[in-house]
Amino acid sequence: MTVQVNDKGAIELSGRCGADDAEALLRHLLAMPGATVVWSESEHLHSAVIQVLLAAAPRMSGPPKNAFLATHIAPIIA
Amino acid sequence: MDELLAQFLVESRELVDKAVDDLLALEKAPNDRKRFEDAFRAFHTLKGGAGIVEFAAMQTVLHCAEDALAAARAEARPVSSLDVGNCLSCLDQVVEWLDVIESSGAVPTDADSAEIVALFARTSAAPVAAAQPPTSGEWVAKLLSTHAAVVSRAQTALRYTPASDTFFRQEDPLARIAALPGLLAVSLEPRAPWPKLEELDPFSCNLTITALLASSLADAAAALESESRYCELQPLSDRSQPRADESLLRKAEELLDAQLALLGSASDARQHGLMASAGLVAANVLRHVGRVSEAEAVATAAAVAIAESRLQPLLEAITAAVHGPADAPPEAEASAAQRQDGRQTMRVSAERIDALVRLTGELIVSHNAIGHAVKLAEQEGSALAVTLKNQHASLSRLVADLQRAVVGMRVLPMSTAFRRFPRLVREMSAELKKPANLVLEGQDTEADKAIVETLVEPLVHVLRNALDHGIEDAAVRAAAGKPAVATILLRAFREGEHVIVEVADDGAGIDVAKVKQVASDRNLLPAGDLAAMTDDQALDLVFLPGFSTAKSVTALSGRGVGMDAVRTSIGRLGGQVDLRSVAGKGTTVRVTLPFSVLVTQVMTVEAGGQLFGIPLDAIVETLRLEKGRIFPIGAAHAIVLRDRTIPLVRLADVLARRVEGVHDDSGPIVIAQLDGELGAVQVDRIGERMDIILKPLEGLLSGVPGLAGSTLLGDGSVLLVLDVGEFVR
Repeated sequence: MTVQVNDKGAIELSGRCGADDAEALLRHLLAMPGATVVWSESEHLHSAVIQVLLAAAPRMSGPPKNAFLATHIAPIIA
Repeated sequence: MDELLAQFLVESRELVDKAVDDLLALEKAPNDRKRFEDAFRAFHTLKGGAGIVEFAAMQTVLHCAEDALAAARAEARPVSSLDVGNCLSCLDQVVEWLDVIESSGAVPTDADSAEIVALFARTSAAPVAAAQPPTSGEWVAKLLSTHAAVVSRAQTALRYTPASDTFFRQEDPLARIAALPGLLAVSLEPRAPWPKLEELDPFSCNLTITALLASSLADAAAALESESRYCELQPLSDRSQPRADESLLRKAEELLDAQLALLGSASDARQHGLMASAGLVAANVLRHVGRVSEAEAVATAAAVAIAESRLQPLLEAITAAVHGPADAPPEAEASAAQRQDGRQTMRVSAERIDALVRLTGELIVSHNAIGHAVKLAEQEGSALAVTLKNQHASLSRLVADLQRAVVGMRVLPMSTAFRRFPRLVREMSAELKKPANLVLEGQDTEADKAIVETLVEPLVHVLRNALDHGIEDAAVRAAAGKPAVATILLRAFREGEHVIVEVADDGAGIDVAKVKQVASDRNLLPAGDLAAMTDDQALDLVFLPGFSTAKSVTALSGRGVGMDAVRTSIGRLGGQVDLRSVAGKGTTVRVTLPFSVLVTQVMTVEAGGQLFGIPLDAIVETLRLEKGRIFPIGAAHAIVLRDRTIPLVRLADVLARRVEGVHDDSGPIVIAQLDGELGAVQVDRIGERMDIILKPLEGLLSGVPGLAGSTLLGDGSVLLVLDVGEFVR
């Protein structure tokens, strides 16, 4: 699973998240307003996933594994 | 003409063609930075060339065009239609001057640049910029201020607004950005304000991505190619160039300009030395100001220029360096590509190739003569006959190969003819106020040079007709539920030994009833004939001389010289023109042409004791009928073939070579087809099939109707080739 809710009630993004994961992420965010999103294990996030993060602006816990995400995307959404 | 000037002519014409292509493409896609830079470079190189041959007026007008384009770039606005129009006018003037140089062999001293200069002056005075506010600059400024730390390295700014259905196309815009060469910084913004989270559609892309890149505009454009219509690229070189270097750079540019001037004074004998020194100085100057890659490019270009004894590569490289650092990488690539092309192709004047064609033609005739000699030797039972026959067979193969190779040399791609049409359609559609889009297909289709070149004029007629008569007014189109912009499809393709060129419009189609009405109004045909005509036959009436259905005569067409002229000139090439039309859907004009005009296949026939050739293209079938089945109709004759009455002429009668008793009425009959009509020609005997080089008739014979041309036979006698259509009519 690439989008999961862990036992601490945070949403975890791991591995390579595709466009389909955007819907799952959105569902979790709607179900748990204010939940933290952990992206330290994410290797790739599809633009659709990043778009959801951008729109929902949740608290992010990182840094992400992927260099592009860490360098260019983290400053925008974290 | 001096060699430099001749070279200048050839290269300038190519550059003009290139610039026209780029300008027209730019008009369709004003944000296409690559096209813009290409057009700009073409103008710049043209201007450089004009400087070399000391043609001040040409330099002046090109400078104006360059300024107009530079202004568009400086204001970060797309190139306007007006700019494109002006630049095209400027190129027209240039072509006019080039024609003068070509005919007179010298640069015109009375060339007047005032008109074009005034044209550009008017435009720049008009508030073009106000009409199109330069909004595009704002995002660049914002991007630069957000990422101040990397600005010094940034060469290109990118704004990428993916379409909302992007995710459905399996496209991942940010992954594309991540993969860009030299990515420095990224900003993300919603295109439309974010909706409430409950209403967010996770599969609809609402992102605007801006980025700063350390790579050149061309590299970025290449990486973004498939998404290019959603991307906007801005070169940043001017802003990021350290200001302190400015005086040094200006000095460097002066030095480079001086090298260009020096090259301009080159005369043939000193060229190599001059080129070497100019190349060396330019490269050193560039190295000194830190533009190492351009320095290398100039050095390589100099080597190539010396090796090929051509100024152009070096000139281009130095011009590119003067022009600006942002353009250097694509320029270097382009000249590298050109260098490679240069090794694979060489310019040979058309006359030399034509001479080769003529020689090949004579070789074929001589080969036929040897064939004749071989037959004689066989008949005489000569001991050499077998050897001769074998040698003749291998000669046949070689001659056939040579013929193919020569035909292959004379081929040109259709694009040579097609390239002027986008502009023509643009102008005509503006004049007629009928917006139309010309779609070109099969531009790579090849055909004999003579055919491609001769095709232009008939196609102009056909395109004019399509726009003027075929395509409806905007109101009519709207009422019929058609798109406001009409489409004209011009396509070429190969079909066996033929090349087909089609012009298809999506207009109203041809009104058959109206065609018949007009034909009867103008007494083109008897009323009875008209009534009996099928729709297809009636459509063919538009090819009659003097036919025109347009209500008003416009400057473009409707003078009644259209379609019959088209059929005549296509016919002269050995081709045919047909018309198909569906009411309300559009008209298609189909031109069928032979691939090559070099060799004509003929069937020989004998009549009145003399041998004639009939082009095989025209022959449908040959048959033999009993005497009683030829009916007299008035003073003429006819036969009935598969329930069709076909007029018949006896070749011997027509040629007044009828000798009593030598032949009877049971001779073979050749059924020929011309423009869809069948005709029968009775001859005394049918001979062999042969490939000949058809020579047009000259002198006394040139006026004789019914003759298409002549050729020499193996035994030295002349074979007259008949134009069967003339007899059948």
